[in-house]
Amino acid sequence: MKATTPLEIVSASKSFGPFCAVDSLDMIVEPGEIVGFLGPNGAGKSTSLRMALGVLAPDSGEISLFGAPPNLVTLRRVGFLPEERGLYKKMTPRQIITYFARLKGLSHRAAKNRADALLDALGLTAFARQKVSRLSKGMAQKVQILTALAHQPDFLILDEPFSGLDPVNQQALEELIAGEHRRGATVIFSTHVMEHAERLCDKIVMMARGRKVFDGTLTAALQTVQRSVRIEVATGFDLAGCLAPWGVTAVQDAELWRVALAPDQDPQTILRTAIEAGAPVTSFLPEEARLRDVFVDLVSDAEARHRQHSRHSRAEVA
Amino acid sequence: MSAILLVARRDYLGYVTAWGFWLGLLLTPLILGVFMLAPVLAASSQPARYFTIVESGDSFTQAVRAELQDRAGQTAPDLPRAGLTGSLPAFILVPPPASGPDELAAFLAGEKLVPTAAGPRPLFAALIVSDPSGTIRYLSKNLQAQALLDIARAAERKVAEDRVFAAAGVSSRLIDDARSARRDVVAQRVGSGGAGRALDVTLQDRAPFLVSIGLAFILWFLIFSVVNYLLMGTIEERSNKIFDSLLTSVRLPQLLTGKLLAVLVLSLTLMAFWSSGSILLTWLASSQLPPGLVAQMSILGMAVLKPMILGPALISFVLGYLIYGALFLALGSLCDTIQEAQTLMTPLIVLLMVPLFMLTIAIDDVGSPAIAAMSWVPLFTPFLLILRMPTDPPLWEVLAQLAVMVLTTGLILRLATQVYRAGAVHGAGLGDAGAWVRRLIPGRRPSGPDSRT
Repeated sequence: MKATTPLEIVSASKSFGPFCAVDSLDMIVEPGEIVGFLGPNGAGKSTSLRMALGVLAPDSGEISLFGAPPNLVTLRRVGFLPEERGLYKKMTPRQIITYFARLKGLSHRAAKNRADALLDALGLTAFARQKVSRLSKGMAQKVQILTALAHQPDFLILDEPFSGLDPVNQQALEELIAGEHRRGATVIFSTHVMEHAERLCDKIVMMARGRKVFDGTLTAALQTVQRSVRIEVATGFDLAGCLAPWGVTAVQDAELWRVALAPDQDPQTILRTAIEAGAPVTSFLPEEARLRDVFVDLVSDAEARHRQHSRHSRAEVA
Repeated sequence: MSAILLVARRDYLGYVTAWGFWLGLLLTPLILGVFMLAPVLAASSQPARYFTIVESGDSFTQAVRAELQDRAGQTAPDLPRAGLTGSLPAFILVPPPASGPDELAAFLAGEKLVPTAAGPRPLFAALIVSDPSGTIRYLSKNLQAQALLDIARAAERKVAEDRVFAAAGVSSRLIDDARSARRDVVAQRVGSGGAGRALDVTLQDRAPFLVSIGLAFILWFLIFSVVNYLLMGTIEERSNKIFDSLLTSVRLPQLLTGKLLAVLVLSLTLMAFWSSGSILLTWLASSQLPPGLVAQMSILGMAVLKPMILGPALISFVLGYLIYGALFLALGSLCDTIQEAQTLMTPLIVLLMVPLFMLTIAIDDVGSPAIAAMSWVPLFTPFLLILRMPTDPPLWEVLAQLAVMVLTTGLILRLATQVYRAGAVHGAGLGDAGAWVRRLIPGRRPSGPDSRT
């Protein structure tokens, strides 16, 4: 376990009574990466992140932050935004950011200066001395994000950072995360909104039913689903029959025809083939693979495996 | 600044900047003062009570007059009791406005007034002496006020003695001689260094008892008034979902210690404010106070500083606070709402009432076996050990009870940490606490996901 590696999880498992929340999770977050930690609700993302922070102890396996088990020294290099948001309602944003920065080791003066700078950067200076109970939900969430950033951590762990934010604030948060990454911070954030991960992440870790179902780059993730093209031809024309001699399979999908692409195949080759075969093409639309499709595929597979496993278990018990 | 101090500072500032704290700080001494002084003020401010005696002779009337004079001349400088029992109202004897109970009834009901030096007034009571062998009737609308009845009974004892002795041929002079020859019964203590020489009991001797009662009450009152802060503060953090953020910056024992420290300093703030306020008021009013009272107060003040009182009191204060503070902190971590906490408050308040009840026993008899026995119950030891110290309990008992307190504190802190962890980290609630207790019973397996704890 290298001291430079922000997070390394080896075969970590965690159960709550009979419910297995995380099952033998292996994961590495390398320095400078932005990792999207994806999965449906109840997949075990928050439990994994809480284990990574040492808030929960794993039942088995090992976890290291910067080469050491999570402890107050290593956690000083980490900024954390929990899934369940909460602030002291009677404190002001400035007081809260200063407090958390001080808990992370900053001096009183440095913490205050940092709080002022962050509030200014997010346009919250006017609300710096108002009680949190008077802030809107979005503003309070921004303040909470600032508490995670206050001590300029090397590693940011953000649990569902976009939930509860309107599109404008989601965009602002994306920019903030990208800014932290440019500063040199490593970031991992959990979400089930794929678009954020597509825009921000170098690497994707996907979980379902407590198990890791994918771990790799965004490109590799997108390659796990088949790309296709959608072709529109004159009404009544049999595109499948026309392309069959060319070794291309077209499937009718309502008014359109869909042709699956081989992993490295250029969509233009299909268009050229169709024209050469004399098909009256009126429109042609290549469909790029989306992370949403990857997510649905992998999670559906995991769910199916889980259902099958459950049936086997029940049958064995019977 | 360490994480513990940062947590303590934040919590402390959170408490002292709440308006409720200042309300309690200022109103509590006011309410206590009113509570302590109310009986005295009520007695001194109540109007004189007029009564009459219907008697064919005047022997009983004279005896009542003598008894009233005796009681008026008695001094009652017993400091703690003065505040608790008050003093007698003034009873003024007036000539009977009528002779029979039926005629007197209108005066007693206030429908008719009797002439007095202060003008016409209602009659408070009437004593009707029918004949030497019959009963003496006491008539009044206010049958709860027993003071005049007691005076009448004491007077009748003397009249009866006179009558019986006179019938036996004893001269009245001899009876007077016999009464004046009565010896005083004086409370004395055995001098420790005087080879059995007895010494009169002074306030200096009684001061440790009075001070121990006062200190035990202060401990009880402080715990009672500040543990609520811990409970409510923890509920706020739980309902605000702030634990996860905190636990990545401080460890759980640090968080608990910081919270306990904050409320300990809060209680010291209250104590310092109230003590300095009392000293300041005494100093400002010193010229108005009776000269003896200042001396008496300084004697009491010196008694607090005696090592045999101060040492166990300080240990009891700290450990007692930790025991109850940790209990409330742990229970608060299991509650999501104040309503949930309120269901817990009732049994805890009943628990805290037991030492208060023992304090009332101690006012009459600090050496009561009940106090000695109850002082072995770990949850009550902090209060009752302080009470017992002036009675010179055996050293082994003091040491054993201190050990019991230390062990109990350690055990409760450990248990509280586990419960707090379950509540703060795993979100366990009151229902899980029930399942957790059931799991401790051998052979029982709880159902449901309580194993989160």
